[in-house]
Amino acid sequence: MRDSEERTQIELAIDRILRQDPMSRRSFMRRTGRGGLALGAMLTLPSLLAACAPAKTKLEWANWPLYIDIDDKAKPDPTPYPSLNAFIKQTGIDVHYVEAINDNEEFYGTIQPDLAAGNPTDWDVISPTSWMVKRMADLGYLEELDHSKLPNWTANCADYAKGLWFDKENKYSVWWQGGITGIGYDPNLTGRELTKFDDLLDEKFKGRVGGFSDMRDMMTLTLASLGIDPTTATVAQAQKAKDKLLTAAKAGQFRGFYGNEYYDQLAAGDLVASVAWSGDITQMQLNDNDKVKFIVPADGAPRWNDNLVIPKKAAWIDQAHKLLNYWYDPVPATTLSEYIGYFTPVKGISERIKADADNYRSSGDTADADYYDVVAPSVAPTADQLAGTFDYPQFENAADEKAWNDMFLEVTTAAG
Amino acid sequence: MPVRRRLTPYLLLLPGAAWLLVFFAVPMALMLVMSLQQGSLTEGYHLTWNWGIYPEVASKYGNLFVRSISFALITTLLTAAIGYPVAYTIAFHGGRLKNALLLVVIMPFFVSFVIRTLNWKMVLADNGLVFGTLKDLGWIDPAFRFLATPGAVVFGLTYNFLPFMVLPLYVALEKIDQRLVEAAADLYANRARAFLRVTFPLSLPGVVAGSLLTFIPAVGDFINADIIGARSPDVAMVGNVIQRLFLNVNDFPSAAALGFLLVAGTMLLVGVYTSLVGSERLTS
Repeated sequence: MRDSEERTQIELAIDRILRQDPMSRRSFMRRTGRGGLALGAMLTLPSLLAACAPAKTKLEWANWPLYIDIDDKAKPDPTPYPSLNAFIKQTGIDVHYVEAINDNEEFYGTIQPDLAAGNPTDWDVISPTSWMVKRMADLGYLEELDHSKLPNWTANCADYAKGLWFDKENKYSVWWQGGITGIGYDPNLTGRELTKFDDLLDEKFKGRVGGFSDMRDMMTLTLASLGIDPTTATVAQAQKAKDKLLTAAKAGQFRGFYGNEYYDQLAAGDLVASVAWSGDITQMQLNDNDKVKFIVPADGAPRWNDNLVIPKKAAWIDQAHKLLNYWYDPVPATTLSEYIGYFTPVKGISERIKADADNYRSSGDTADADYYDVVAPSVAPTADQLAGTFDYPQFENAADEKAWNDMFLEVTTAAG
Repeated sequence: MPVRRRLTPYLLLLPGAAWLLVFFAVPMALMLVMSLQQGSLTEGYHLTWNWGIYPEVASKYGNLFVRSISFALITTLLTAAIGYPVAYTIAFHGGRLKNALLLVVIMPFFVSFVIRTLNWKMVLADNGLVFGTLKDLGWIDPAFRFLATPGAVVFGLTYNFLPFMVLPLYVALEKIDQRLVEAAADLYANRARAFLRVTFPLSLPGVVAGSLLTFIPAVGDFINADIIGARSPDVAMVGNVIQRLFLNVNDFPSAAALGFLLVAGTMLLVGVYTSLVGSERLTS
């Protein structure tokens, strides 16, 4: 996930900004194409571009930033990602790994015109979050998986990672990594233990609390704090959550609503508490600030996962299956988990990391042993964590979803 | 040929008119049409002449217009207050260094807008170069912060748009005939009076041009609120809402309606302003 020791703050910040708005030539063209489609003009731009594309030599995989093991000291061979390199060497399938997804909706916007028109996108594998998988599957935008080509998944997938609400038979998706959105805080700065979402709204922390720019995370946390089941909440109930958040936002409770940016500020103590992702705080304790604690709010929190799916009409469906199957091999899954620390879908990884820790300890490398001891229990959800968390809200239709999004935008801009 | 002579002015207008049509009128019309559609990205948008969107977004985001306009106004006043002495000094006391000094003014533009703004974010961080030092010295409260406040956004806007104020002011001041100021002195005007009655009125075209070049982009800016404003809710400007509606919410009609209101509102304000100061100031 993060290797802040290796990189300066400036590099990280520039990275973030570039990631927030990566205007590569392709995405620029695609956005132009998308706007044009919506306006009924420039319909042919993407197809013109496609017509002059060179022959395909790589499997194109779009994933989120900082979501794979990375070795930035080694010379890229052929990628800076060791476990991905092992796949490339094993199978001879070259992979172009792109950190192209910063926001589900934004990324969806770049591929939707092609999918709607029945054209292939440029991607062979993409990594959308649960609810986005459902939306795309319902619209017929995803290839059905051939499970005979995914023996590792059949053998090794953990129970909590299959048959979930958005794809009950795993017809279209397999879990990539997951986590819980809870609260990270430094007890020395808050001066007390935090246990529930309302603790974030304590006036004492005014202006030093971080929120998320993700609507589903924030609304789920707030609805749970109001005693409403977020999974089945109606627009009217969401309105109550919005009112609660908007009142706090207008009073200046939140310093900001962040994507990845909360991390540095929480680690530096500029934020005394923030909404946070479980895997991030594990990383923070290991690398940046061991005083920061992660809690799952007592009144409930969202659990989520990102998935590997194959968009409709992908060029390399067979090769894509091989990639999906590869990540359910415990060896690369362990490497990946040791590095990024989110919930893995593969059984027995926690034990494998523990074993690695013991190996390090017996060879006298206590630093690495301590590191893996912290990571080991964090890569799979406990029964308590599963019981105390909710799936994301499941909207009845697009209009409801838009209403929720609009409401939440008012919160993040303190509008009205 | 009298016909051709009558047509000539219109023919000469053609390039400018075509420019306006392609880069202003057509995009505005498309934006208007987009704003009157209903639907979703997935189901497609259909033109339903939904004029109700305008009062809806205006009531929802009305305070953001007020916020954006106030930020831009304060920015314009600050850039004028800082830029005028700078331009005056370069124009009248620059001597041989004039060109070098002008280069210094535009030098920051050699680096990307976003990178420069990011750098300020680091300099002004809670425990960064400036405030970290002041906190270490015990001169300010450890909980003090500047980032993610309205003041920080206005600071960023002022910094980023300052050259747009200085350059037109310099051009206007530079061409003022110094003999007019001397004449004022001969007529017993003291220096302050000569400035107020001669130099300043003659420099007004620069003030008008500079304030327009600053105010218009500042109203629609979203980079400063995002970076130095650090995604704080109470510094979000209209540009931020439009950006998020377009890219994150995929609510194109609301975004287009806000965009249309922003352009129309800005034009209205600029229209009032130029009619008050006289648009011939811009061209004289």
